[in-house]
Amino acid sequence: MATGVVTITDDRSRAFLSGRILEKDDTYILNYAAKHLARTNNDRRHDYGQYGSADPRATICEAWRFPIIDGHYNEIDETEAYHWNEVTFIYRAPQDRPAPDEVAVIGTFAPIYTALPMRRVADTPYFTVTALVPKGEVHTYKYKVDGEFQLDPINPQQTTLDNGAVWSRFFTQGCTQRLSFERWEMDILTRLTDHILPFRTEEGQRFLQQYYESLDRQTKEQRYPGAYRFDESVGVANFIDKLVAREENHHLIDYKICLGEIKSLFRRRNPFVEPHQVPREMYVELYDQMASGNVPGWNYQAYNNPRYFLQLLRRHTITGAFAHPKYGGNAGASGWAYLSERYKDAANPTLFDWRRVLERPLGLDPIYRG
Amino acid sequence: MENQFDVVIIGSGAGGAPIANVLARQGKSVLVLEKGPLFRTQEDTKGLSDFKRDELMATGGEKRIRVNDVANWGESYYSSHVEPDLNDEPHVYRDFDGRDRATIEGYTAQCVGGGTQLYGAVSLRFAPDDFRLKTLNESRNDIRNDPNEDVKREARDWPISYEDLEPYYTIAEQMIGINGTRQNQLKPASQDFYQKPLPPNPISRFVEIGMDALGMKRYRTPVAVITEDHPPSGRKYPGGDAAKTGYVNRYGCPLGLKSNTWVALLRPVSNLPNFELRPNCTVTHLGMDGGGAVRHVHYRDAGGTEGTVEGKIIVVACSAIESVRLLMLSAIRDGEFARRIYQNDLLGKYFLTHCFGGAEAIMPGRFDKSISMDSDWATDFCARREFLQEEGLWAGGAIYNNTSDQCLPISLARTHGSQDIDTIWKSFVEDTSLTGDRLAAFLDENFGTRLSVSFMANQVPLKTNRIELHPTIRDKWGLPSAYIIKTWHPHDRYLMDVFAEQCAQILRFGGDGGKGQYPVYEKGGLYQAENGLARIANHVLGGARFGTDRSDSVLDPQCRAWEFDNLYVTDGSFMPTSGGANPTLTIQANSFRVADILLQRL
Ligand SMILES: Cc1cc2nc3c(=O)[nH]c(=O)nc-3n(C[C@H](O)[C@H](O)[C@H](O)COP(=O)(O)OP(=O)(O)OC[C@H]3O[C@@H](n4cnc5c(N)ncnc54)[C@H](O)[C@@H]3O)c2cc1C
Repeated sequence: MATGVVTITDDRSRAFLSGRILEKDDTYILNYAAKHLARTNNDRRHDYGQYGSADPRATICEAWRFPIIDGHYNEIDETEAYHWNEVTFIYRAPQDRPAPDEVAVIGTFAPIYTALPMRRVADTPYFTVTALVPKGEVHTYKYKVDGEFQLDPINPQQTTLDNGAVWSRFFTQGCTQRLSFERWEMDILTRLTDHILPFRTEEGQRFLQQYYESLDRQTKEQRYPGAYRFDESVGVANFIDKLVAREENHHLIDYKICLGEIKSLFRRRNPFVEPHQVPREMYVELYDQMASGNVPGWNYQAYNNPRYFLQLLRRHTITGAFAHPKYGGNAGASGWAYLSERYKDAANPTLFDWRRVLERPLGLDPIYRG
Repeated sequence: MENQFDVVIIGSGAGGAPIANVLARQGKSVLVLEKGPLFRTQEDTKGLSDFKRDELMATGGEKRIRVNDVANWGESYYSSHVEPDLNDEPHVYRDFDGRDRATIEGYTAQCVGGGTQLYGAVSLRFAPDDFRLKTLNESRNDIRNDPNEDVKREARDWPISYEDLEPYYTIAEQMIGINGTRQNQLKPASQDFYQKPLPPNPISRFVEIGMDALGMKRYRTPVAVITEDHPPSGRKYPGGDAAKTGYVNRYGCPLGLKSNTWVALLRPVSNLPNFELRPNCTVTHLGMDGGGAVRHVHYRDAGGTEGTVEGKIIVVACSAIESVRLLMLSAIRDGEFARRIYQNDLLGKYFLTHCFGGAEAIMPGRFDKSISMDSDWATDFCARREFLQEEGLWAGGAIYNNTSDQCLPISLARTHGSQDIDTIWKSFVEDTSLTGDRLAAFLDENFGTRLSVSFMANQVPLKTNRIELHPTIRDKWGLPSAYIIKTWHPHDRYLMDVFAEQCAQILRFGGDGGKGQYPVYEKGGLYQAENGLARIANHVLGGARFGTDRSDSVLDPQCRAWEFDNLYVTDGSFMPTSGGANPTLTIQANSFRVADILLQRL
């Protein structure tokens, strides 16, 4: 259980406190380790195309879950606690050699050059430590195993720094930093998702505008830590950027190829306008062509099934628009707000009272903490 | 670490936990080994719960089937955070085309509390006639769609009657914590421990009207969610509508208001020195001692390390498919175990689920369905003997409405056109017309307007419906996976059609104030689903049935394996027929009964 008490007021002191260690009990650690890591069968059953052919992660179930990113709570200051995540690192000692004496994690989330020592869970191959990290951030880290630095052998997320060095990476909830896509890719993606969602109907547009304007800065800050980009419709592109960086990394390649295809298609169809600024009708046309599977000018050698990409995009878009905002979409809970605004009658101010059972400050439930 | 116990119980769900609770309170030393994690409530952690009100926990990111040798290799699946991973621990079934496919159906939930963590918590008793279907059908010759008279041949009476089980139903209802009403049930009760139900969701008014118009006597569905303080488990009810969250079926309850077996039965004894729970430990096989007793329980702990414990009594309660598999895996390792467990050829045979299905309509008006539990109204109309005679049915069932389904936006989309977990998202993904304005129109039409009524009825037991070990496919421990071979009897199909029509009638009469013309959107039975052979409705029963005749059953009337002195099986696998209602309360009641038997011998 987390016992850390943090009382602070602004982002600077948050940065200062990042990396504080919390105690989690063994059960918490083993709850993840048993299902995802423990096994004797080393078939590569968890590779859906996201791993290289020799990557041992293919034998691990949902390797992306590590390090574990969880919510945080303390009874003294709930509102402040809501700005934090608990990040739990788990290192599994290799079976084919003696267990290491010392394992630690070093990373940008903790004070510079400070290695956080990881404790061994008794009678198991697992070493662990849990640190508090603010929401909305991206960090790099490495393990230090008996003095040797190494990448996290479980977490597939890695990033190459400017100096060429490769580090393991994680991001906390409500993150809006781009991880998977270039700016231009985000722009086209945003247009594509807009067309799928109901919000870009004229009525939907009006609603979003009013809704965003009605939230003052403080409300945004409290309910949606991580400063959402309110200029982007419901943040779905951001949700997808995070989803393909982690849970559905195997689909990153679909986006990379297809966004590139769409860009060059639009360039050819309308050379004078940036692809993300071509008129709505062109997106509608493209959409219908993709649905039919027959897109004139599409490079089928590069990607043979544009309809599949559309289907994928639709599932991701709907999920992002209506999932909990911590996943990076549903910005400002605008997806839910859209439904709760749209559906009401004379007797009920809303017929989708989503805030009633969700945690404060996002929701209004007096007991449930998220 | 202690490694000798009076009782070692494998599995902490409906079949295992009642025994653990009773024996621990009576001072016996009890170990519960549970494969899944111990997910905690807010109260347990004094912080956050491991369960969240979060749609992506019920159905997570896309994964792909990568189990060799299955025909659905490469297909997408989306599992919840508490189901086993399909690639790691596949269940395999043989499909219509004779090819094998992996399925996530047939798992309940893999965590402390088992299926009761995720269940809809509908906690009906079986009807007295469900216990004597052989007697009831013996002299009938009006059973439709049964050309070979299989029903007469295969129907079985339970070795215990409703009256035998009744006191234990009462104990279960008291100990678990259930809200509902009693009047109009066809299931007599000696005592009433139901808590007071909360007001129904307004959309359920249509069901009320429909049932009344059809003369179907109704009652508030007993649901295992507390609505008042519950002294036996020490749980407090926060008041008001706190339990009506919409995050019910397929969600664990962060507040512990849903009466899963962890909060209701295990947590209350968890501080006793004679009780131990080891979560994250998968039992791989059982071993005999030199004499005629099962003694050793072998497992893999969270680090994958092998461990062994000993029990004077061993209780297997892994949910039916996994229990049968564990017994079969033990038989592979130990010849003496094999000789005894295969004293006849019935282990794994007569695997059962339920005849299940219903009807759905888009109702007039819109409702906030998220202010709900899983069900509001139920009726035993179709469990009456007159009804069975009129319709030429061998057995009856229960009908109830579902209130919370599709009440949240993502679940509306991902279950659009597909209700089960193998085909989730599929129809929505393929229906590319739902976009922009048309998606808005889809939401307008369906959000907060859909109402479904379900039935749950007996399936004809067939020896050919069975669980085996798969010849080639193995799980993450290198052990053979369960292989499920089943089909629907023609009478099952007929029965599902009859029951679905009854459900549709309720909506037709409910939707237009009793005239019976309201349009019904969809109706049917499980057998019509694309993957109708895999579908199990989360109800995994039979495969080790109990009975009085050792040549006709795997377990004796005490749920002890014939030829073993100390091996008991108490999950749903003991059932010789599947009962005309959701099974869990009956599994729990029977488990309390077995606990009494064990107390007498310890
Ligand atoms: C979404 C959903 C909704 C449902 N709704 C209802 C409902 O409304 N009403 C109703 O009556 N029923 C419902 N059910 C069904 C209900 O969950 C089951 O009937 C019930 O839990 C079965 O009890 P059991 O003891 O057989 O198995 P379980 O309760 O599943 O317990 C089995 C336990 O054994 C563990 N286990 C398995 N193998 C091993 C091993 N090798 N070693 C150690 N542990 C092991 C499992 O992890 C599990 O915890 C629902 C189920 C689901 C999934």
